[in-house]
Amino acid sequence: MMMKNILVLAFNDLAIAFRNKTFFLILFIPLFVFVSLDLVDGTRTEAGRVRIGLVQGHAYPSGITGNVNAADKLVEVAWVQNEAEGVRLLKEHKIDGMLAGDQRTPGGLALLVLKKDALRTIAIVQDFSALQKTAEGNNPDWITDIRSLHQGGVQRETLPTWILMLVLLIGFIILPAQVAEEKEKKLLIALLQTPIHEAQWLIAKLILGMVLIITAVLFLHLLGGFGPVHLPGYIAFIVAGSYCFSAYGIFLGFLCRSQASARTLGVIFYLPHLLPSAMSDVSQKLTSIAPLLPSYQLYEPLQSILLEGGRLADMTFDWVYLLLLGSVMFFLSYLLMKRRWLM
Amino acid sequence: MQIEILNLAKLYDQKRGLAPISFEVSKGELIAIIGHNGAGKSTLLKMLANWIVPDGGTATIDGIDLKNRIAVVRKVGFIPEEPNLFDFFSVEYNLKLFAALSQTPLTRVEEILGEFDLVSFRMCKVQSLSKGLKQRVNIGRALLADPPVLLLDEPTSGLDFEMTREIYRLLRAMHGAGKTILFTSHRPEEIKSLATRIMVLHQGSLVFDGYPDEYFQSDIHEKLYA
Repeated sequence: MMMKNILVLAFNDLAIAFRNKTFFLILFIPLFVFVSLDLVDGTRTEAGRVRIGLVQGHAYPSGITGNVNAADKLVEVAWVQNEAEGVRLLKEHKIDGMLAGDQRTPGGLALLVLKKDALRTIAIVQDFSALQKTAEGNNPDWITDIRSLHQGGVQRETLPTWILMLVLLIGFIILPAQVAEEKEKKLLIALLQTPIHEAQWLIAKLILGMVLIITAVLFLHLLGGFGPVHLPGYIAFIVAGSYCFSAYGIFLGFLCRSQASARTLGVIFYLPHLLPSAMSDVSQKLTSIAPLLPSYQLYEPLQSILLEGGRLADMTFDWVYLLLLGSVMFFLSYLLMKRRWLM
Repeated sequence: MQIEILNLAKLYDQKRGLAPISFEVSKGELIAIIGHNGAGKSTLLKMLANWIVPDGGTATIDGIDLKNRIAVVRKVGFIPEEPNLFDFFSVEYNLKLFAALSQTPLTRVEEILGEFDLVSFRMCKVQSLSKGLKQRVNIGRALLADPPVLLLDEPTSGLDFEMTREIYRLLRAMHGAGKTILFTSHRPEEIKSLATRIMVLHQGSLVFDGYPDEYFQSDIHEKLYA
């Protein structure tokens, strides 16, 4: 009898998990991880060519200029007018690195990359080492220094990912559940029994999301002491990002009848928005997919501001995109609220 | 007429819901809406309270169209079957919150606490109260802005005999104060001495609308509750 009861209860729990769509996570998470890993692992085999910038007019060792064209399966060369153009292409992810004169070692070459400890950097060093061995045997290395465009060390390099994680966690996990809870317990409808406007409730929820996100980011900076940033741009993107993803989260909450459903839906949105953006640096394929996600329009500018000294004026598209998307989500939530959707 | 309803309808799943219904309510009436589960009683009240959007028809309360929610909610207090309060906050917090949103003076909260014998529970979290007490807080909240029309959905559902009597006493008191009241019930015999008018809904249609004496003398009561 006891066993039967346990089985009946377990079956009931499974039915609830199915009803709450929790089951979808069992399928979705492994599928998502599989696809992501496939994209990352495929980097060196399928998109293995490194794109290297060479400065026109610079006297490169003849071994380089003579062999890079022959090794076109490994290296793709982009000739740039000067170092400034190379830095620009590097920031735009159009090249993986640039070889320029090393001021500290006469005759040596400095490799300029976005990140020193990135897979692409290792690939460039490996490829040029192989080229050098082929061309010159055991002569001294061509590359005598590796310089990173990103400033501030490893801790700071991971900061955009942590901030993105915080923003998405509040936007996709906390807010939808709270909205769904207010719907599920008929609290929202009780509030609408007072002469408040629907938009007022939505704005209050937006403020909640933005305050949570901004407080979390501030706290992270207080704890980490990550050093100075270009404040106007940084504040603008944190505000725009928190607005966009709070509105997004509220909209997700309106699509669900219960908290459990909202949490499931939140995770389903959270992972794809977080991982491709945060992992785009380690995969060419993810780099091409990531810009399609709204989260990338926050991640990329944060990375640029925090690590490359980027300026707000250069990121108008991303900023406007976040504000527009947030406004569209706000409007959709308003429509659902007016229709008393799943309330 | 205080409430005028013309062909108000709501359809769920192409079957359940409320067929187009029309009736009028005068100021000061105390109307019991009865019928079996799924008859459309709650749907009717929820439409009047702006909880759900009608599929068709019109309704006005004190001449204000139902679509004008912000104006209508000043005229209507709705008490749902399950008290929908912020459980994790105190009675006083809940009343003050809704008073603030209703632009009602906070002194009204003290009046409600007194009128509904809630003074000693003011700092208690709602989740710690019995269902009867929660329902009292719920009714008190609906009366904060002193609306002329009250809608109560199964106000005695799940309450014991004593609490049910207490709720009916409150209904009489509110009616005595000049409120127009519509409430739903499963139990027609209990509202015999309470209502001034009875409406019977059956499978989404209005099948009786008259005085309590007429209802209890008619064969509808027998047919529905035999």
